[in-house]
Amino acid sequence: MDVYALVRDAVYRSSLLLDRQDWDGWLSLCDEKFQYAIRAWSPEINKDLTYLAHDLKGLASMIKLLPKHNTDHSPLTRHTSLYTVDVDEAAQSAKAISSVVVFQNLLDGINSHIDAGESRLFLVGKYIDTLKVDGGKASFLSREVRIENRRLDKGSHWPI
Amino acid sequence: MAAKNHAQWLSEPKLKANEWVDSRIYSDPQIYEEEIEKIFSKTWIPVCHESELPKAYDFRTMSIAREPVIVCRGPDNEVRAFLNVCPHRGMIIERRPAGSFLEGQPSGNPKRMTCMFHAWQYDMRGNCVYISREKEGFQDRLCKEDVGLRRLRCEVKFGGFVWVNLDDNPKVSLEDWAAPAFGCLRKTLDAEPLEVFHYHKAIVNANYKLWHDTNCEFYHDFMHYHNRVTGFNDAYFARKNESFEHGHIVVGTFEVNYEKYEGFDSRAALSFPHLPPNQWYMIDMFPGMNFNLRGSALRCDIVTPLGPDKVMIEFRGLGLKRDTSEERQTRINHHNSIWGPFGRNLHEDLIGVQGQGTTMQTGSEPRRILHGRHENQTIHDENGMRHYYEEWGRWMNRMPNHPEQPYAEAVSVAAE
Repeated sequence: MDVYALVRDAVYRSSLLLDRQDWDGWLSLCDEKFQYAIRAWSPEINKDLTYLAHDLKGLASMIKLLPKHNTDHSPLTRHTSLYTVDVDEAAQSAKAISSVVVFQNLLDGINSHIDAGESRLFLVGKYIDTLKVDGGKASFLSREVRIENRRLDKGSHWPI
Repeated sequence: MAAKNHAQWLSEPKLKANEWVDSRIYSDPQIYEEEIEKIFSKTWIPVCHESELPKAYDFRTMSIAREPVIVCRGPDNEVRAFLNVCPHRGMIIERRPAGSFLEGQPSGNPKRMTCMFHAWQYDMRGNCVYISREKEGFQDRLCKEDVGLRRLRCEVKFGGFVWVNLDDNPKVSLEDWAAPAFGCLRKTLDAEPLEVFHYHKAIVNANYKLWHDTNCEFYHDFMHYHNRVTGFNDAYFARKNESFEHGHIVVGTFEVNYEKYEGFDSRAALSFPHLPPNQWYMIDMFPGMNFNLRGSALRCDIVTPLGPDKVMIEFRGLGLKRDTSEERQTRINHHNSIWGPFGRNLHEDLIGVQGQGTTMQTGSEPRRILHGRHENQTIHDENGMRHYYEEWGRWMNRMPNHPEQPYAEAVSVAAE
């Protein structure tokens, strides 16, 4: 499989695993040096914002504690489109940029009798990924979820 | 007794009059309109932080009580506030959330606020400095001097927050309004300039007071796994819930054990001036603003009511202006791991208040909301909410537990 195909497969597979809330499966696609962040630019305060940042260990701890937290269980569904893949063959790495739109499929966040079953736009943004490509495998070195939203209402406990 | 029939469900609780409220105060459209007129149009509102407009000609826009407001920094470095409304035809003048008037706009010149509609222009003091084809259209019947912007009372205070009051003659000065409540943190917040590093907002279908209630009571820490494991100890349960004049309350500090939450570390290495590490103070300002200094980050919530059962909450995080980039990133991580839109606690708080809003929609059957816990004015005592609703009753001339009745002072609260 060529590098582009390996990267494409990793990006899309990660979206499916995140949609399924298979957090461990998602983390298994990540390198041990993985860095994750959700960021946005705020024209309100003229600053770049970091809404969440973790390394692999921090993400694993956060995920492990999810069952102990109260949360909105409305599933999130990503629509991901891979835009560009820039391969650095010398470094055995690639940078991939994908457009991502996340829908929230309402379940118990408001009034389930009325809202459950409805899908609402939750986030609009991009995945900016770097991947290590080695031995016929692509693994994530970093993922920046760069979102357009600063209005996030109830927010979420889950990685995007 | 177990479950209730309808009459029992509607009967008044066996508590004192000030220990419960009628849910209509969270949902009634008429009460909401009165709140806009009697409270939000007349109180000091912290609309932003001065670090959001650091240079001359910088501006921020917002709204209070449905009125569009603009705050700008003049060439003399003064921060001033005006209605963001052109006196010509009522167009909103500045449509962006923030920016700089050093750049010219398609309809106007640099260093001026320009109404894009007909190119009327205003300086940073709110003076009208240009009317397009003034002489031709108005001859001498109306001139620039007749049409300045509506200036608003504005002060920068208590850690650099920008406070605005729509009332030209407020009942009390900002100093008298807020200084006693800020007493516990004033030395800390005024020691050196602060800077905003975080902003996001939520719009939820719940009354603004329900959000403020959540900030005023810590009994809901049972909802937060993070707070239970990092906080529940003797010192936590001894935290005092202190009431101040004008409906404000302050929850005193204790030392949080962050390292007890797996994946978190102690936050002792980074604090604020004059503050021991890992402390946690909470200042709740009437009618719905919150200043929450926890360890290494200051959080500020500003509510903008949008309807009887709808509120916008703006969340800000602040550190010290002089932070190194490494210190700043640490503060950001500390702030957002708990309070960010993807943090551990804020999501739970917003689910909680949204759940209340769901049961207290406009037109829903009135019910009793209990504020009757007494624990020697410590952390799970609900004296803070009782104090708040005494103030609310005075401003509204309504009894919180019988909003159709005129307000009468509750002797028991005065004694608390």
